Amino acid sequence: MITKLLVAYDGSRQSEKAFEFALDMAAKYSAKILVLAVARPPEPPVQVEMKAVLENAAQYYQEHFRRLSEHTATAGVEALFEVKVGHPAEQIVHLAKEEQADAIVMGHRSETLLQRWLLGSVAKRVLSYAHCTVIIVR
Amino acid sequence: MTETWLLATIWLGLALIATLLSIWLGIATALSEIVVGTVAQLIIGALIGTAVLGANDPWIKFLSGTGAIILTFLAGAELDPVVFKEKWKEALGIGLAGFFAPFFGCAAVAYYCLHWTTEASWLTGVALSTTSVAVVYAVMLEFGLNESTYGKTVLAACFINDLGTVMALGLIFAPFTMRTMIFVIIGVAVFILLPFITPRFFKRYGGRPSELEAKFLLLALFGMGFLASWADSEAVLPAYLIGMVLAGTVGKDHMLIRRLRTLTFGLLTPFYFIRAGSFVSVPALIMGPIIFLILLAAKIVTKLAAVYPVTVIFKSSRKEGMYTTLLMSTGLTFGSISALFGLSHGIIDTNQYSYLIATVVASAVVPTLIANAFFLPGHLLGDALEEEEIVKIGKPRKKFLAALKSKLIRSRSAEVKGEGS
Repeated sequence: MITKLLVAYDGSRQSEKAFEFALDMAAKYSAKILVLAVARPPEPPVQVEMKAVLENAAQYYQEHFRRLSEHTATAGVEALFEVKVGHPAEQIVHLAKEEQADAIVMGHRSETLLQRWLLGSVAKRVLSYAHCTVIIVR
Repeated sequence: MTETWLLATIWLGLALIATLLSIWLGIATALSEIVVGTVAQLIIGALIGTAVLGANDPWIKFLSGTGAIILTFLAGAELDPVVFKEKWKEALGIGLAGFFAPFFGCAAVAYYCLHWTTEASWLTGVALSTTSVAVVYAVMLEFGLNESTYGKTVLAACFINDLGTVMALGLIFAPFTMRTMIFVIIGVAVFILLPFITPRFFKRYGGRPSELEAKFLLLALFGMGFLASWADSEAVLPAYLIGMVLAGTVGKDHMLIRRLRTLTFGLLTPFYFIRAGSFVSVPALIMGPIIFLILLAAKIVTKLAAVYPVTVIFKSSRKEGMYTTLLMSTGLTFGSISALFGLSHGIIDTNQYSYLIATVVASAVVPTLIANAFFLPGHLLGDALEEEEIVKIGKPRKKFLAALKSKLIRSRSAEVKGEGS
């Protein structure tokens, strides 16, 4: 039985697709959805710049969340929205476990070779460490 | 003026490249700008001539210096006065240990191992003594510890550590003449008066398109910067202190801080960091990598020796303590400011400056990479309750943690049962 879905959201087209997929699924199963956005500080975090990055991310996601909440309300799905700070994969896996989500729904970002080498693929890490089912929407 | 516009175009072009690189690679813009400055100077220097970038032109020096001053002011204004007032006594020991160990340790390594002059060795100590508040803050946010007693204490300690670095930079190389005395007396008066005058002045005349707030703050920063410079001290010292004393008033005005950030990141700091990078001699680094490695090791080991035991007192997990300690090893802004101060005042030469900047950059990057690769603790957010309890009790023990966890599990299952029935 699916009662709670966690959607990893970063504002990209792929994450929008993942959100739509999760919304559809949640409506069918009468499940709740938890939309998580992760603000990643620059490496290494530098004073002043980091706070600016985090404030900017919070504002950016708040605007997106306002729009997404209208979608969830229309679909009659109960939804929660949250912004966390840190490594996206770490935060997604952790929140899914903490909230006892039945599945994680996320998009597959087209990261460059360099980004994957520096940061690792988020989807791959989530797949490796998540306690629950992971759905990668393409 | 034609030459000036051409130079401005080149510098802003470099700033744009650095920003794009920072976006693509997910790295800090400051780091990207330093690297772009170094590479640009290397390429342009080899192709056309080292003077083409005009890094010592007065207007570039002015923009760069203003960038350092406002950046330092904003860094000081990030202080949380409530947390600082609440925790400064507990944080004093960690902060001072985090400052003095690398300060004396790195100075000793520079003097005895590298045989640098006394002044150059002290400057090495200053440049490598700093801790990045931002790194620690990011880690605390990531672990959800920013609201815990432990998190607040470590953050307050980082401010004390950086205050130590700025004070050392401002006072160690000052000649202690009558000018120093005048600077100190006026400085103390300004630091006492500003928190009273500023909010009242802003309330009465602020909030207009004429940006009175920015002009007032720049006046205070330039005025104190002039006094510091006149007394052969460093302009960032009063800037950091002004930031700290105004943290509770100006620091809370998000709109004003945002406008200052736009000015700083959009125009000023690119000049500062690219200029800092442009003085790095790549040939010197290639010729003497051992010196750089010695300095880097000295920085990490001394910080580790001072901070790790403190994390052990506060926390039970070795891995978490090591992670926090490694991340406390970094400090890009004050490290580069100190090194550039040394170079511009003839305390260190270009080669020594290059080693220091390389160490500062590496100490910002290497510990982060090591920490993420080997010491990234699992999901600490779930342990936030334990963290609170640990700090309250003072002497954490694994047994205590285990008991607390089982208590937590029991109470959760009791809740579930309660819900179920």
